[in-house]
Amino acid sequence: MSWAEEVEELKRRRELAKQQGGPEGIAKQHGYGRMTIRERIHTLLDEGSFQEQGKATAVPDYDDDDNFLGFVPANYVLGFGRIDDRRVVVGGEDFTLKGGSPNAAGLRKSIYAEHLAIQYKIPLVRMLEGGGGSVKSSGKRGGSSGGDSVFSEPRFKVIADAMGEVPVVSMAGGAVAGFPAGRMAASHFSVMSADTAQILVAGPKVVERALGVDMTKDELGGAHIHAKSGVVDNVAENETEALMQSRRFLSYLPSSVYQRTPRYPCEDNPERMEEELLDVVPRDSRSVFNMRTVIEMIVDLGSFFEMGKDFGRSQIVGLARIDGQPVGILANNNRVYAGAMTAEAAQKYRRFVELCDTFHVPVVNFIDQPGFMIGPEAEKKGTIRYGMAAVAAAAQATMPWCAIQVHKGFGVATAAHYAPNAYVLAWPSVESGALPLEGGVAVAFHREIEAADDPVAKRTEIEERLRSARSPFPRAESFGVHELIDPRETRPTLCQWIDWIQPQLDELKGPVSFSMRP
Amino acid sequence: MATHNVESEVTGSVWKVQVEVGDSVSEGDVILILESMKMEIPVESPADGTVAELRVQPEEAVEEDQVVAVIQS
Repeated sequence: MSWAEEVEELKRRRELAKQQGGPEGIAKQHGYGRMTIRERIHTLLDEGSFQEQGKATAVPDYDDDDNFLGFVPANYVLGFGRIDDRRVVVGGEDFTLKGGSPNAAGLRKSIYAEHLAIQYKIPLVRMLEGGGGSVKSSGKRGGSSGGDSVFSEPRFKVIADAMGEVPVVSMAGGAVAGFPAGRMAASHFSVMSADTAQILVAGPKVVERALGVDMTKDELGGAHIHAKSGVVDNVAENETEALMQSRRFLSYLPSSVYQRTPRYPCEDNPERMEEELLDVVPRDSRSVFNMRTVIEMIVDLGSFFEMGKDFGRSQIVGLARIDGQPVGILANNNRVYAGAMTAEAAQKYRRFVELCDTFHVPVVNFIDQPGFMIGPEAEKKGTIRYGMAAVAAAAQATMPWCAIQVHKGFGVATAAHYAPNAYVLAWPSVESGALPLEGGVAVAFHREIEAADDPVAKRTEIEERLRSARSPFPRAESFGVHELIDPRETRPTLCQWIDWIQPQLDELKGPVSFSMRP
Repeated sequence: MATHNVESEVTGSVWKVQVEVGDSVSEGDVILILESMKMEIPVESPADGTVAELRVQPEEAVEEDQVVAVIQS
Protein backbone atom coordinates (compact mmCIF):
# COMPACT_ATOMS: atom_id res chain seq x y z
CA MET A 1 0.00 0.00 0.00
CA SER A 2 1.42 3.32 -0.95
CA TRP A 3 0.32 6.70 0.38
CA ALA A 4 -0.87 7.82 -3.03
CA GLU A 5 -4.39 8.43 -1.83
CA GLU A 6 -3.31 10.83 0.92
CA VAL A 7 -0.89 12.55 -1.40
CA GLU A 8 -3.69 13.12 -3.91
CA GLU A 9 -5.87 14.50 -1.13
CA LEU A 10 -3.06 16.78 0.03
CA LYS A 11 -2.68 18.16 -3.48
CA ARG A 12 -6.41 18.82 -3.63
CA ARG A 13 -6.38 20.63 -0.32
CA ARG A 14 -3.45 22.82 -1.32
CA GLU A 15 -5.37 23.80 -4.45
CA LEU A 16 -8.46 24.54 -2.38
CA ALA A 17 -6.46 26.80 -0.07
CA LYS A 18 -5.41 28.93 -3.03
CA GLN A 19 -9.05 29.58 -3.93
CA GLN A 20 -9.17 32.22 -1.17
CA GLY A 21 -12.73 33.57 -0.91
CA GLY A 22 -13.65 31.98 -4.24
CA PRO A 23 -14.28 33.76 -7.55
CA GLU A 24 -16.96 35.93 -5.93
CA GLY A 25 -14.80 37.06 -3.03
CA ILE A 26 -11.93 37.85 -5.38
CA ALA A 27 -14.18 39.71 -7.84
CA LYS A 28 -15.53 41.79 -4.97
CA GLN A 29 -12.00 42.70 -3.84
CA HIS A 30 -11.07 43.69 -7.39
CA GLY A 31 -14.32 45.66 -7.62
CA TYR A 32 -13.03 47.87 -4.81
CA GLY A 33 -9.87 48.42 -6.85
CA ARG A 34 -7.76 46.39 -4.43
CA MET A 35 -5.37 43.49 -4.88
CA THR A 36 -5.87 40.17 -3.11
CA ILE A 37 -3.23 39.15 -0.59
CA ARG A 38 -1.72 36.67 -3.07
CA GLU A 39 -1.46 39.42 -5.70
CA ARG A 40 0.23 41.71 -3.16
CA ILE A 41 2.76 39.01 -2.31
CA HIS A 42 3.39 38.35 -6.00
CA THR A 43 3.95 42.08 -6.67
CA LEU A 44 6.25 42.55 -3.69
CA LEU A 45 8.58 39.59 -4.09
CA ASP A 46 11.22 38.67 -6.64
CA GLU A 47 9.57 36.65 -9.40
CA GLY A 48 8.69 33.10 -8.34
CA SER A 49 10.36 33.33 -4.93
CA PHE A 50 7.33 32.80 -2.66
CA GLN A 51 7.54 29.72 -0.42
CA GLU A 52 4.29 29.48 1.50
CA GLN A 53 4.17 28.25 5.08
CA GLY A 54 1.14 26.16 6.08
CA LYS A 55 -0.17 25.60 2.56
CA ALA A 56 -3.07 23.44 3.73
CA THR A 57 -3.99 25.40 6.85
CA ALA A 58 -7.73 25.78 7.00
CA VAL A 59 -10.93 25.53 8.95
CA PRO A 60 -12.28 22.13 7.82
CA ASP A 61 -15.88 21.07 7.49
CA TYR A 62 -16.94 17.43 8.13
CA ASP A 63 -20.36 15.78 8.01
CA ASP A 64 -21.74 13.63 10.86
CA ASP A 65 -19.96 10.58 9.50
CA ASP A 66 -16.62 12.37 9.53
CA ASN A 67 -16.53 12.73 5.76
CA PHE A 68 -14.52 15.74 4.65
CA LEU A 69 -16.85 18.19 2.92
CA GLY A 70 -14.42 20.97 2.19
CA PHE A 71 -12.74 23.72 4.02
CA VAL A 72 -12.35 27.44 4.43
CA PRO A 73 -8.71 28.40 3.87
CA ALA A 74 -6.86 30.21 6.64
CA ASN A 75 -7.44 33.87 5.92
CA TYR A 76 -3.87 34.82 6.63
CA VAL A 77 -1.22 33.96 4.03
CA LEU A 78 2.31 33.55 5.29
CA GLY A 79 5.64 32.51 3.86
CA PHE A 80 9.21 33.20 2.80
CA GLY A 81 10.27 35.04 -0.30
CA ARG A 82 13.05 37.18 -1.69
CA ILE A 83 13.46 40.92 -2.21
CA ASP A 84 16.48 41.88 -4.33
CA ASP A 85 17.63 38.33 -3.70
CA ARG A 86 17.57 38.66 0.10
CA ARG A 87 15.19 36.42 2.04
CA VAL A 88 12.22 37.94 3.89
CA VAL A 89 9.07 36.79 5.66
CA VAL A 90 5.81 38.05 4.18
CA GLY A 91 2.30 37.80 5.52
CA GLY A 92 -1.09 39.38 5.30
CA GLU A 93 -4.82 38.98 5.88
CA ASP A 94 -6.98 37.58 3.12
CA PHE A 95 -9.78 40.13 2.92
CA THR A 96 -11.77 37.97 0.51
CA LEU A 97 -12.57 35.68 3.46
CA LYS A 98 -14.49 37.10 6.41
CA GLY A 99 -13.20 40.61 5.68
CA GLY A 100 -9.79 39.57 6.95
CA SER A 101 -11.13 39.08 10.49
CA PRO A 102 -9.06 36.07 11.50
CA ASN A 103 -10.60 32.62 11.39
CA ALA A 104 -9.03 30.10 13.76
CA ALA A 105 -6.42 28.96 11.24
CA GLY A 106 -5.68 32.49 10.05
CA LEU A 107 -5.13 33.69 13.58
CA ARG A 108 -2.48 31.04 14.28
CA LYS A 109 -0.56 32.07 11.21
CA SER A 110 -0.82 35.81 11.79
CA ILE A 111 0.52 35.47 15.31
CA TYR A 112 3.37 33.34 13.97
CA ALA A 113 4.66 35.89 11.43
CA GLU A 114 6.86 37.81 13.90
CA HIS A 115 8.16 34.60 15.47
CA LEU A 116 9.20 33.35 12.06
CA ALA A 117 11.10 36.54 11.20
CA ILE A 118 12.89 36.59 14.55
CA GLN A 119 13.78 32.89 14.40
CA TYR A 120 15.21 33.04 10.88
CA LYS A 121 16.72 36.53 11.43
CA ILE A 122 15.21 38.10 8.32
CA PRO A 123 12.97 41.13 7.67
CA LEU A 124 9.19 40.95 7.98
CA VAL A 125 6.84 42.62 5.52
CA ARG A 126 3.20 42.75 6.56
CA MET A 127 0.51 43.52 4.02
CA LEU A 128 -2.37 44.55 6.21
CA GLU A 129 -6.08 44.70 5.56
CA GLY A 130 -8.86 44.01 8.00
CA GLY A 131 -10.40 44.86 11.31
CA GLY A 132 -8.91 42.30 13.68
CA GLY A 133 -11.19 40.40 16.03
CA SER A 134 -14.97 40.37 15.91
CA VAL A 135 -17.53 40.15 18.71
CA LYS A 136 -19.20 37.41 16.68
CA SER A 137 -16.31 35.06 17.40
CA SER A 138 -15.78 36.18 20.99
CA GLY A 139 -19.46 35.89 21.81
CA LYS A 140 -19.85 32.17 21.12
CA ARG A 141 -20.69 30.14 24.17
CA GLY A 142 -18.14 27.53 25.04
CA GLY A 143 -15.92 28.66 22.22
CA SER A 144 -12.95 30.95 22.53
CA SER A 145 -14.97 33.49 24.51
CA GLY A 146 -12.61 33.35 27.46
CA GLY A 147 -9.69 34.62 25.40
CA ASP A 148 -6.09 33.53 25.85
CA SER A 149 -5.01 31.49 28.85
CA VAL A 150 -3.35 33.23 31.78
CA PHE A 151 -0.02 31.59 31.01
CA SER A 152 0.08 32.54 27.33
CA GLU A 153 2.52 35.26 26.38
CA PRO A 154 0.97 38.69 25.74
CA ARG A 155 0.32 38.78 22.03
CA PHE A 156 1.95 42.13 21.57
CA LYS A 157 5.26 41.07 23.15
CA VAL A 158 6.64 39.42 20.04
CA ILE A 159 5.52 42.41 17.96
CA ALA A 160 7.52 44.72 20.22
CA ASP A 161 10.47 42.28 20.37
CA ALA A 162 10.62 42.04 16.57
CA MET A 163 11.38 45.77 16.37
CA GLY A 164 14.65 45.19 18.18
CA GLU A 165 15.68 42.20 16.02
CA VAL A 166 14.68 42.48 12.36
CA PRO A 167 13.44 45.19 9.98
CA VAL A 168 9.64 45.35 10.11
CA VAL A 169 7.67 46.95 7.29
CA SER A 170 3.90 47.36 7.18
CA MET A 171 1.87 48.22 4.12
CA ALA A 172 -1.84 49.06 4.27
CA GLY A 173 -3.72 48.05 1.14
CA GLY A 174 -7.27 48.49 2.42
CA ALA A 175 -9.01 49.52 5.62
CA VAL A 176 -6.86 48.56 8.61
CA ALA A 177 -8.45 48.82 12.04
CA GLY A 178 -8.08 47.51 15.56
CA PHE A 179 -5.22 45.09 16.19
CA PRO A 180 -3.90 45.27 12.60
CA ALA A 181 -3.74 49.07 12.98
CA GLY A 182 -1.54 48.45 16.02
CA ARG A 183 0.72 46.26 13.88
CA MET A 184 0.84 49.03 11.29
CA ALA A 185 2.18 51.50 13.85
CA ALA A 186 4.61 48.98 15.32
CA SER A 187 6.92 49.05 12.31
CA HIS A 188 10.21 50.53 11.26
CA PHE A 189 8.56 51.71 8.08
CA SER A 190 4.87 51.97 7.26
CA VAL A 191 3.24 53.00 4.03
CA MET A 192 -0.40 53.27 2.98
CA SER A 193 -1.91 53.27 -0.47
CA ALA A 194 -3.69 56.62 -0.95
CA ASP A 195 -6.45 55.34 -3.19
CA THR A 196 -7.45 52.21 -1.24
CA ALA A 197 -6.34 52.34 2.41
CA GLN A 198 -7.55 53.76 5.67
CA ILE A 199 -6.10 53.28 9.13
CA LEU A 200 -8.40 53.47 12.10
CA VAL A 201 -8.38 52.58 15.76
CA ALA A 202 -12.07 51.95 15.24
CA GLY A 203 -14.30 52.27 12.19
CA PRO A 204 -17.29 54.54 11.52
CA LYS A 205 -19.95 52.36 13.17
CA VAL A 206 -18.03 52.12 16.43
CA VAL A 207 -17.26 55.85 16.38
CA GLU A 208 -20.88 56.74 15.68
CA ARG A 209 -22.07 54.56 18.58
CA ALA A 210 -19.55 55.95 21.05
CA LEU A 211 -19.29 59.59 20.08
CA GLY A 212 -22.30 60.30 17.91
CA VAL A 213 -19.99 61.45 15.12
CA ASP A 214 -21.02 60.41 11.64
CA MET A 215 -17.94 60.13 9.42
CA THR A 216 -16.75 57.85 6.63
CA LYS A 217 -13.71 55.65 7.15
CA ASP A 218 -11.79 57.85 4.73
CA GLU A 219 -12.67 61.01 6.66
CA LEU A 220 -11.57 59.29 9.86
CA GLY A 221 -8.37 57.64 8.73
CA GLY A 222 -7.62 58.28 5.06
CA ALA A 223 -4.24 59.15 3.63
CA HIS A 224 -4.83 62.90 4.03
CA ILE A 225 -5.17 62.37 7.79
CA HIS A 226 -2.25 60.02 8.35
CA ALA A 227 0.30 61.77 6.14
CA LYS A 228 0.13 64.49 8.78
CA SER A 229 -0.64 62.42 11.91
CA GLY A 230 2.63 60.51 11.75
CA VAL A 231 0.83 57.14 12.03
CA VAL A 232 2.35 56.13 8.69
CA ASP A 233 5.72 57.16 7.40
CA ASN A 234 4.76 57.45 3.76
CA VAL A 235 1.71 57.69 1.55
CA ALA A 236 1.97 55.97 -1.84
CA GLU A 237 -0.28 56.69 -4.82
CA ASN A 238 -1.47 53.09 -5.02
CA GLU A 239 -0.77 49.59 -3.75
CA THR A 240 1.95 48.82 -6.27
CA GLU A 241 3.89 51.95 -5.34
CA ALA A 242 3.42 51.15 -1.63
CA LEU A 243 4.94 47.71 -2.21
CA MET A 244 7.83 49.20 -4.23
CA GLN A 245 8.54 51.65 -1.39
CA SER A 246 8.63 48.69 1.02
CA ARG A 247 11.25 46.99 -1.16
CA ARG A 248 13.28 50.17 -1.40
CA PHE A 249 13.26 50.81 2.35
CA LEU A 250 14.67 47.34 3.06
CA SER A 251 17.59 47.87 0.66
CA TYR A 252 19.19 50.29 3.15
CA LEU A 253 19.13 47.88 6.09
CA PRO A 254 20.79 44.64 7.09
CA SER A 255 18.52 41.56 7.32
CA SER A 256 18.72 41.63 11.11
CA VAL A 257 20.56 43.41 13.91
CA TYR A 258 23.08 40.55 13.84
CA GLN A 259 24.43 41.57 10.44
CA ARG A 260 26.35 44.70 9.55
CA THR A 261 24.70 47.31 7.34
CA PRO A 262 25.07 46.42 3.68
CA ARG A 263 27.32 48.33 1.31
CA TYR A 264 26.78 48.58 -2.43
CA PRO A 265 29.01 49.47 -5.38
CA CYS A 266 28.80 53.22 -5.96
CA GLU A 267 28.09 54.55 -9.43
CA ASP A 268 28.45 58.18 -8.41
CA ASN A 269 31.81 59.97 -8.23
CA PRO A 270 33.01 60.24 -4.59
CA GLU A 271 34.95 63.41 -5.54
CA ARG A 272 31.92 65.15 -7.06
CA MET A 273 31.72 68.78 -5.88
CA GLU A 274 28.63 70.85 -6.69
CA GLU A 275 29.37 74.54 -7.33
CA GLU A 276 25.91 75.51 -6.18
CA LEU A 277 26.77 74.55 -2.59
CA LEU A 278 29.05 77.59 -2.29
CA ASP A 279 26.16 80.04 -2.21
CA VAL A 280 23.21 77.88 -1.25
CA VAL A 281 22.99 79.29 2.30
CA PRO A 282 21.97 82.97 2.03
CA ARG A 283 24.14 85.50 3.88
CA ASP A 284 20.93 87.12 5.10
CA SER A 285 19.85 84.75 7.86
CA ARG A 286 16.19 85.72 7.39
CA SER A 287 16.10 84.16 3.93
CA VAL A 288 15.19 80.54 3.35
CA PHE A 289 16.93 77.90 1.26
CA ASN A 290 16.03 74.40 0.16
CA MET A 291 17.69 71.85 2.43
CA ARG A 292 16.38 68.91 0.36
CA THR A 293 18.38 70.00 -2.66
CA VAL A 294 21.46 70.32 -0.42
CA ILE A 295 21.03 66.68 0.63
CA GLU A 296 20.50 65.54 -2.95
CA MET A 297 23.63 67.33 -4.15
CA ILE A 298 25.78 65.58 -1.55
CA VAL A 299 24.55 61.96 -1.28
CA ASP A 300 24.90 59.39 -4.10
CA LEU A 301 22.72 60.62 -6.98
CA GLY A 302 19.12 59.48 -6.68
CA SER A 303 19.70 57.59 -3.43
CA PHE A 304 17.71 59.80 -1.01
CA PHE A 305 14.55 58.08 0.28
CA GLU A 306 12.62 60.53 2.44
CA MET A 307 10.28 59.30 5.18
CA GLY A 308 7.40 61.15 6.84
CA LYS A 309 7.66 64.34 4.80
CA ASP A 310 4.35 65.85 5.99
CA PHE A 311 4.67 65.07 9.71
CA GLY A 312 6.91 67.26 11.86
CA ARG A 313 7.81 69.15 8.70
CA SER A 314 10.57 71.27 10.25
CA GLN A 315 12.65 68.06 10.47
CA ILE A 316 13.70 66.06 7.42
CA VAL A 317 14.57 62.36 7.86
CA GLY A 318 15.37 59.67 5.33
CA LEU A 319 17.78 57.05 4.12
CA ALA A 320 20.42 57.56 1.46
CA ARG A 321 23.76 56.17 0.31
CA ILE A 322 27.16 57.81 0.42
CA ASP A 323 29.83 56.04 -1.61
CA GLY A 324 27.46 53.06 -1.65
CA GLN A 325 27.09 52.97 2.13
CA PRO A 326 23.50 53.29 3.39
CA VAL A 327 23.23 56.15 5.88
CA GLY A 328 20.47 57.83 7.86
CA ILE A 329 19.98 61.46 6.91
CA LEU A 330 18.78 64.05 9.41
CA ALA A 331 18.35 67.65 8.29
CA ASN A 332 16.43 70.72 9.38
CA ASN A 333 13.96 72.40 7.08
CA ASN A 334 14.33 76.16 7.54
CA ARG A 335 11.14 76.82 5.56
CA VAL A 336 9.03 75.54 8.45
CA TYR A 337 9.53 77.46 11.69
CA ALA A 338 13.14 78.10 10.70
CA GLY A 339 13.76 74.38 11.30
CA ALA A 340 12.83 74.58 14.99
CA MET A 341 12.21 71.31 16.80
CA THR A 342 8.45 71.06 17.36
CA ALA A 343 6.84 68.29 19.43
CA GLU A 344 6.07 66.38 16.20
CA ALA A 345 9.53 66.93 14.73
CA ALA A 346 11.04 65.65 17.97
CA GLN A 347 9.00 62.42 17.82
CA LYS A 348 10.01 61.91 14.23
CA TYR A 349 13.64 62.56 15.11
CA ARG A 350 13.63 60.19 18.10
CA ARG A 351 12.08 57.33 16.15
CA PHE A 352 14.47 57.75 13.25
CA VAL A 353 17.57 57.85 15.46
CA GLU A 354 16.34 54.70 17.21
CA LEU A 355 15.80 53.03 13.83
CA CYS A 356 19.36 53.82 12.74
CA ASP A 357 20.79 52.81 16.11
CA THR A 358 18.92 49.48 16.10
CA PHE A 359 20.37 48.50 12.71
CA HIS A 360 23.74 50.22 13.18
CA VAL A 361 23.18 52.55 10.22
CA PRO A 362 25.57 55.52 10.33
CA VAL A 363 23.95 58.96 10.50
CA VAL A 364 24.74 62.20 8.70
CA ASN A 365 23.06 65.22 10.25
CA PHE A 366 22.75 68.58 8.46
CA ILE A 367 22.18 71.10 11.23
CA ASP A 368 20.24 74.35 10.80
CA GLN A 369 18.05 74.79 13.84
CA PRO A 370 17.28 77.84 16.00
CA GLY A 371 16.26 75.56 18.90
CA PHE A 372 13.07 74.03 20.22
CA MET A 373 9.87 75.58 18.91
CA ILE A 374 8.70 78.37 21.20
CA GLY A 375 5.38 80.07 21.87
CA PRO A 376 2.02 79.20 23.43
CA GLU A 377 1.13 76.31 21.11
CA ALA A 378 4.54 74.72 21.54
CA GLU A 379 4.30 74.89 25.34
CA LYS A 380 0.82 73.30 25.30
CA LYS A 381 2.10 70.45 23.17
CA GLY A 382 4.82 69.58 25.68
CA THR A 383 7.63 70.28 23.22
CA ILE A 384 10.44 70.11 25.77
CA ARG A 385 9.49 66.56 26.84
CA TYR A 386 9.44 65.15 23.29
CA GLY A 387 12.50 67.23 22.57
CA MET A 388 14.45 65.74 25.44
CA ALA A 389 13.45 62.24 24.32
CA ALA A 390 15.08 63.14 20.99
CA VAL A 391 18.17 64.48 22.77
CA ALA A 392 18.41 61.29 24.85
CA ALA A 393 18.12 59.06 21.77
CA ALA A 394 21.06 60.85 20.15
CA ALA A 395 23.10 61.03 23.36
CA GLN A 396 22.89 57.26 23.85
CA ALA A 397 23.25 56.31 20.19
CA THR A 398 26.05 53.90 19.33
CA MET A 399 26.45 54.16 15.56
CA PRO A 400 28.98 56.36 13.74
CA TRP A 401 27.61 59.89 13.41
CA CYS A 402 28.67 62.87 11.36
CA ALA A 403 27.30 66.32 12.23
CA ILE A 404 27.54 69.08 9.65
CA GLN A 405 26.93 72.55 11.02
CA VAL A 406 25.30 74.14 8.00
CA HIS A 407 23.78 77.28 9.46
CA LYS A 408 22.05 77.83 12.80
CA GLY A 409 22.58 75.76 15.91
CA PHE A 410 21.23 77.25 19.10
CA GLY A 411 20.07 76.32 22.56
CA VAL A 412 19.32 73.02 24.24
CA ALA A 413 17.85 71.46 21.08
CA THR A 414 21.32 71.56 19.52
CA ALA A 415 22.32 68.77 21.88
CA ALA A 416 20.04 66.45 19.92
CA HIS A 417 22.30 66.71 16.92
CA TYR A 418 25.39 65.07 18.32
CA ALA A 419 25.92 61.44 19.26
CA PRO A 420 28.99 60.48 21.30
CA ASN A 421 32.21 60.64 19.26
CA ALA A 422 30.53 62.49 16.41
CA TYR A 423 32.70 63.64 13.52
CA VAL A 424 31.94 67.37 13.36
CA LEU A 425 32.21 69.49 10.25
CA ALA A 426 31.19 73.13 9.84
CA TRP A 427 30.44 75.31 6.86
CA PRO A 428 31.53 78.97 6.94
CA SER A 429 27.82 79.90 7.19
CA VAL A 430 27.57 78.40 10.70
CA GLU A 431 25.99 80.45 13.52
CA SER A 432 25.67 79.06 17.01
CA GLY A 433 25.37 79.90 20.67
CA ALA A 434 23.02 79.75 23.63
CA LEU A 435 20.26 81.50 21.73
CA PRO A 436 19.82 83.31 18.40
CA LEU A 437 21.20 86.81 18.28
CA GLU A 438 17.91 88.69 17.98
CA GLY A 439 16.21 87.09 20.98
CA GLY A 440 19.49 87.06 22.88
CA VAL A 441 20.05 90.79 22.45
CA ALA A 442 16.51 91.57 23.59
CA VAL A 443 17.18 89.68 26.83
CA ALA A 444 20.81 90.50 27.60
CA PHE A 445 20.69 94.20 26.73
CA HIS A 446 17.16 95.00 27.86
CA ARG A 447 18.18 97.82 30.28
CA GLU A 448 20.35 99.53 27.72
CA ILE A 449 17.64 99.21 25.07
CA GLU A 450 14.87 100.53 27.34
CA ALA A 451 16.98 103.51 28.41
CA ALA A 452 17.67 104.59 24.83
CA ASP A 453 15.74 107.41 23.17
CA ASP A 454 14.89 105.10 20.30
CA PRO A 455 14.79 101.54 21.73
CA VAL A 456 14.20 99.85 18.38
CA ALA A 457 17.16 101.61 16.78
CA LYS A 458 19.30 100.77 19.79
CA ARG A 459 18.36 97.09 19.60
CA THR A 460 19.11 96.96 15.87
CA GLU A 461 22.44 98.70 16.46
CA ILE A 462 23.51 96.13 19.06
CA GLU A 463 22.34 93.26 16.88
CA GLU A 464 24.33 94.59 13.92
CA ARG A 465 27.44 95.15 16.04
CA LEU A 466 27.40 91.57 17.34
CA ARG A 467 26.51 90.11 13.96
CA SER A 468 29.51 91.74 12.27
CA ALA A 469 31.79 90.38 14.98
CA ARG A 470 30.76 86.83 14.09
CA SER A 471 33.28 84.60 12.46
CA PRO A 472 33.43 80.89 11.75
CA PHE A 473 37.22 80.72 12.28
CA PRO A 474 37.48 80.54 16.09
CA ARG A 475 35.75 77.15 16.11
CA ALA A 476 38.41 75.79 13.75
CA GLU A 477 41.25 77.43 15.75
CA SER A 478 40.02 75.96 19.03
CA PHE A 479 39.39 72.48 17.53
CA GLY A 480 35.70 73.03 18.37
CA VAL A 481 34.98 71.25 15.11
CA HIS A 482 37.06 68.64 13.35
CA GLU A 483 37.12 70.68 10.16
CA LEU A 484 35.76 73.91 8.84
CA ILE A 485 35.11 73.05 5.19
CA ASP A 486 34.22 74.57 1.86
CA PRO A 487 30.60 73.41 1.39
CA ARG A 488 31.61 72.00 -2.01
CA GLU A 489 34.03 69.63 -0.25
CA THR A 490 31.21 68.04 1.75
CA ARG A 491 30.72 64.98 -0.46
CA PRO A 492 34.41 64.08 -0.81
CA THR A 493 34.87 64.61 2.95
CA LEU A 494 31.89 62.38 3.77
CA CYS A 495 33.06 59.66 1.37
CA GLN A 496 36.40 59.66 3.19
CA TRP A 497 34.62 59.37 6.54
CA ILE A 498 32.54 56.45 5.19
CA ASP A 499 35.82 54.68 4.48
CA TRP A 500 37.13 55.41 8.00
CA ILE A 501 34.06 53.93 9.72
CA GLN A 502 34.06 50.57 7.90
CA PRO A 503 35.90 48.69 10.68
CA GLN A 504 33.39 50.07 13.22
CA LEU A 505 30.48 48.92 11.06
CA ASP A 506 32.05 45.45 10.80
CA GLU A 507 32.07 45.21 14.60
CA LEU A 508 28.74 46.88 15.39
CA LYS A 509 26.37 43.93 15.52
CA GLY A 510 23.69 42.57 17.80
CA PRO A 511 20.84 44.13 19.76
CA VAL A 512 21.26 47.62 21.20
CA SER A 513 20.28 48.32 24.81
CA PHE A 514 17.36 50.48 23.71
CA SER A 515 15.91 49.65 20.32
CA MET A 516 12.98 51.30 18.61
CA ARG A 517 9.50 51.60 20.05
CA PRO A 518 6.42 52.49 18.02
CA MET B 1 -11.86 75.23 -14.05
CA ALA B 2 -10.20 73.93 -10.97
CA THR B 3 -9.64 75.91 -7.81
CA HIS B 4 -6.57 75.41 -5.67
CA ASN B 5 -6.34 76.61 -2.11
CA VAL B 6 -3.04 78.19 -1.17
CA GLU B 7 -2.33 77.22 2.42
CA SER B 8 0.18 78.55 4.90
CA GLU B 9 2.59 75.89 6.14
CA VAL B 10 3.28 77.83 9.33
CA THR B 11 1.86 80.14 11.96
CA GLY B 12 3.16 83.67 11.47
CA SER B 13 2.21 87.06 10.06
CA VAL B 14 1.89 88.36 6.52
CA TRP B 15 4.88 90.47 5.57
CA LYS B 16 4.37 91.19 1.85
CA VAL B 17 1.76 90.24 -0.69
CA GLN B 18 3.48 89.76 -4.05
CA VAL B 19 0.49 89.42 -6.41
CA GLU B 20 -2.89 91.00 -7.07
CA VAL B 21 -6.24 89.41 -7.81
CA GLY B 22 -6.39 88.66 -11.53
CA ASP B 23 -2.62 88.14 -11.93
CA SER B 24 -1.62 85.01 -13.75
CA VAL B 25 0.85 82.83 -11.88
CA SER B 26 2.86 79.69 -12.51
CA GLU B 27 3.31 76.78 -10.13
CA GLY B 28 5.99 77.73 -7.61
CA ASP B 29 5.53 81.50 -7.99
CA VAL B 30 5.57 83.38 -4.71
CA ILE B 31 2.08 84.57 -3.75
CA LEU B 32 3.04 86.22 -0.49
CA ILE B 33 5.79 86.23 2.10
CA LEU B 34 5.13 85.43 5.72
CA GLU B 35 7.26 86.24 8.68
CA SER B 36 7.64 83.41 11.16
CA MET B 37 10.41 82.63 13.65
CA LYS B 38 12.34 85.63 12.25
CA MET B 39 12.44 84.08 8.80
CA GLU B 40 10.83 85.22 5.58
CA ILE B 41 8.76 82.28 4.39
CA PRO B 42 7.52 82.37 0.81
CA VAL B 43 4.07 80.91 0.16
CA GLU B 44 4.02 79.52 -3.36
CA SER B 45 1.30 78.83 -5.88
CA PRO B 46 0.41 75.13 -6.03
CA ALA B 47 -0.56 75.38 -9.73
CA ASP B 48 -0.49 77.45 -12.92
CA GLY B 49 -3.50 79.76 -13.07
CA THR B 50 -4.99 83.08 -12.05
CA VAL B 51 -5.20 84.61 -8.60
CA ALA B 52 -8.92 84.45 -7.79
CA GLU B 53 -8.85 85.52 -4.15
CA LEU B 54 -6.43 86.99 -1.66
CA ARG B 55 -7.72 86.37 1.84
CA VAL B 56 -5.07 88.14 3.92
CA GLN B 57 -3.49 91.58 4.25
CA PRO B 58 0.03 92.59 5.26
CA GLU B 59 0.61 92.35 9.02
CA GLU B 60 -2.33 89.99 9.47
CA ALA B 61 -1.69 86.90 11.60
CA VAL B 62 -2.10 83.54 9.89
CA GLU B 63 -2.27 80.02 11.27
CA GLU B 64 -0.90 76.71 10.06
CA ASP B 65 -3.01 75.28 7.20
CA GLN B 66 -4.99 78.54 6.83
CA VAL B 67 -6.10 79.29 3.27
CA VAL B 68 -4.44 82.59 2.35
CA ALA B 69 -5.31 82.73 -1.37
CA VAL B 70 -7.21 80.86 -4.05
CA ILE B 71 -5.86 80.11 -7.51
CA GLN B 72 -8.07 79.21 -10.45
CA SER B 73 -6.73 77.16 -13.33
